[in-house]
Amino acid sequence: MASSVSYRKNEKKLLNKTNIMLYIMILPPLFLYYLFRYVPMPGIMLAFQRYTISGFKYWAGFENFKYVFNTPFFWRAFRNNWVFVGFSYVFITPSPILFALMLNEIRVRWYKKTVQTISTLPNFVTWVVIAGIFMQLLSPTRGYVNQVIEFFGGESIYFLSKPALFPWLFTFMRIWKGVGYSSIIYLAALAGVDPQLYEAAVIDGAGRLKQTWHVTLPGIRNTIVVLIVLSFSRVLNGMFEPIFVLKNAYIESTAEILSTYIYNLGITRGKYYLATAIGLFKSLISMFLLFMANFLSKRVTEDGRSIL
Amino acid sequence: MLQRSLNEKIFNVFNIIGFFLFTLLMLIPIMFVIKTSLDISQIGEVQLNLLPVEPSLLFYRMVIRDESVYRPFLNSIIITVSGTSLSMIINALGAYTLSKRELAGNRFFIYFLVIIPMLFGGGIVPTYLLIRALGLIDTLPVLFVPNAANAWNMILIRNYYWSIPKSLSESARIDGAQEFTVFFKIILPLAKPVLAAIALFTGVGYWNTFMAAVLYIRDSRKYTFPVKLRELIILGGDAEKNLEEMLMQLGLDPTEYFLSIEGLSSAMMITSMVPIIIVYPYLQKYFAKGLMIGSIKG
Repeated sequence: MASSVSYRKNEKKLLNKTNIMLYIMILPPLFLYYLFRYVPMPGIMLAFQRYTISGFKYWAGFENFKYVFNTPFFWRAFRNNWVFVGFSYVFITPSPILFALMLNEIRVRWYKKTVQTISTLPNFVTWVVIAGIFMQLLSPTRGYVNQVIEFFGGESIYFLSKPALFPWLFTFMRIWKGVGYSSIIYLAALAGVDPQLYEAAVIDGAGRLKQTWHVTLPGIRNTIVVLIVLSFSRVLNGMFEPIFVLKNAYIESTAEILSTYIYNLGITRGKYYLATAIGLFKSLISMFLLFMANFLSKRVTEDGRSIL
Repeated sequence: MLQRSLNEKIFNVFNIIGFFLFTLLMLIPIMFVIKTSLDISQIGEVQLNLLPVEPSLLFYRMVIRDESVYRPFLNSIIITVSGTSLSMIINALGAYTLSKRELAGNRFFIYFLVIIPMLFGGGIVPTYLLIRALGLIDTLPVLFVPNAANAWNMILIRNYYWSIPKSLSESARIDGAQEFTVFFKIILPLAKPVLAAIALFTGVGYWNTFMAAVLYIRDSRKYTFPVKLRELIILGGDAEKNLEEMLMQLGLDPTEYFLSIEGLSSAMMITSMVPIIIVYPYLQKYFAKGLMIGSIKG
C-alpha cells in the first residue's frame, strides 16, 4: 500500500517545476559526454576495417590485428610500456612512502613545511617544462651536469641519447616531479596513527626503527595497499606527455610506448585502422586490469569498497 | 639507553642533512633555468656558479614582444579563463542534480557519466576523426569544450553538497523558496571552498594544456604555450635565425649578441611557471586540508 502511494506521488512529481530544472541542469554534461565520449565509441570498428587505395571501406576481420602483431615496432612499444610499469612499481610507488616516513621523523615544523612546499611544486608544472629543465640540465654542451663532469676532468655525456639510460632518467624525473605531491596522502595517514601506540612501544623498549616497523608501517598499510590496487587500472595511461616530449630518434628503442606509437601511426602517418586496432588492444588490457583492481579493492578495503 | 638516544641523534642529523640535499636537488635545476634565462653571456663558457655572468632581461623582453611567443601565451590564458569558467558552471550545476538521490534517473546519470566511460572509449583516433568531422581542428574551443564536463569533479562537488546540513535548505523551502533559489542562495555560497579548490586544479590543468593541442592544433597561431615551448626545445635548427629576427624586432644589432636558444626557452619555462607559483599558496591550502585527497584516491 505504502509503496503504491509513494509511487503515485513520484509519478506526479516526475515532471514538476523542480524536476524540470534539475534535468536541465544535468543536460550540458550529458550532452558533452554523449558527443565526445559516446559518439566516437563505434569508431572502434575501424579496428576491423580497412580501406582500399581508392578509398573504399571494407570489412577486414582480424587482419589489422594480425598485421600489427607481426610488426616488431608494436612489440617494442609493448615491451617498453611494461618496462616503465615495472620501474613504476619498483621505484616510483615506494618513493613517496619512504619520503613521508622520513619527513615524519623531522620534528622541526618550519623545516618540514619548507621541504614539503618545495617538493610539491613540480607536480603542478607541465611535463613540457619539466622535460625542458632536464634537457637543459643534461645538455652535452651547456648542461650543468656535464659542466660538473668536465670540471672534474670527465668527458661530457649526451645522457638523453643513450637508450640504456632512458628508463632510469625517466624514472628519476617522474620521482622528481611527483614524490612531494604523492607523499601528501601518506603524511595524512601517518598523522592518523594513534600516538598511544608509540608510547606503548617506547615502554616496551622499542627504538625509532622498531617503532617504524611495528607501529607506523602497520598503521598506514591499508592506505598503501589501497593506493597500489587502485593504480592497477591506470598503469598503461598517463605517460604520453613526458615520453612524447623526451623521445628522440636515438632513444626510440627504449622510449616508445603504446600511446605514443598509436599517435605516430594514427595521427602523424594516418594509418587509422592499425592505430585503432592497437588502441583497442590497449583498452582491453586496461579493462582487464580495472576489473582486477575492482575485485582486489573489494577484498582489501575494510568496507569492501569497489571502484566500479 | 644512552646508546639508543645517541643513535637517534645521529639519525636525526642525517635525516635533516638528507632532506637539505634533497631540497637542493629540487632547487638547483630550477635555479639553473632561472640563471640561463637571465644570462646573455657568450655560448660555450663553462661556469659552475648559479649566478648569471651577464645579467639581462633580454630574453623576457623577447617573450613579451615576439608574436610567435606571446600569442601562445595569450591563447593559454584564454583557454584557462574560459575553460575554468565553463567547466565550473557545468559541473556545479550538474552536481546538484546528481546530489538528488531520489530523482528518477539518478543511477542512469552515474552510469552514463562515470562507469561506462571508464570501461569503454573510442580511443585517440576515432575521437580525432570526430573532432575533424565537426570542423573543430585549429580552433581554440576544442581545447576546453570537449573536457569541460568532468564526472570526477562533479562527484567531488556532489559529495560536498551532501555534507551541507539538510535543515538549511528545508527551512528555506518552508519559507516558500523555490528549488532555484535554494540552490543559488544557499547551496552555492556554502559550497565555495570545494568550488574554489576544484577551480584551481582545473585552471592549472587548462594552463598546462598540451596533449589536446598537439592532437588538434596545426596552426602555430593557435598554439598553447606548452606546445610553443616544446617546439623551441626540440627545434634547434632554425633557432639561431629566429633569435636574430627577434633581436632586430627589439631594435638591437644581432651581430653584437651571441645568444643561445636555451636562454629563450628558459625564459619561457619560467614565464609558464609564474602563474602556478602565484596560485600555489592557495593550492597548498586546499590539498593540505585534504580536500583533494579524495580525487587522488580516484
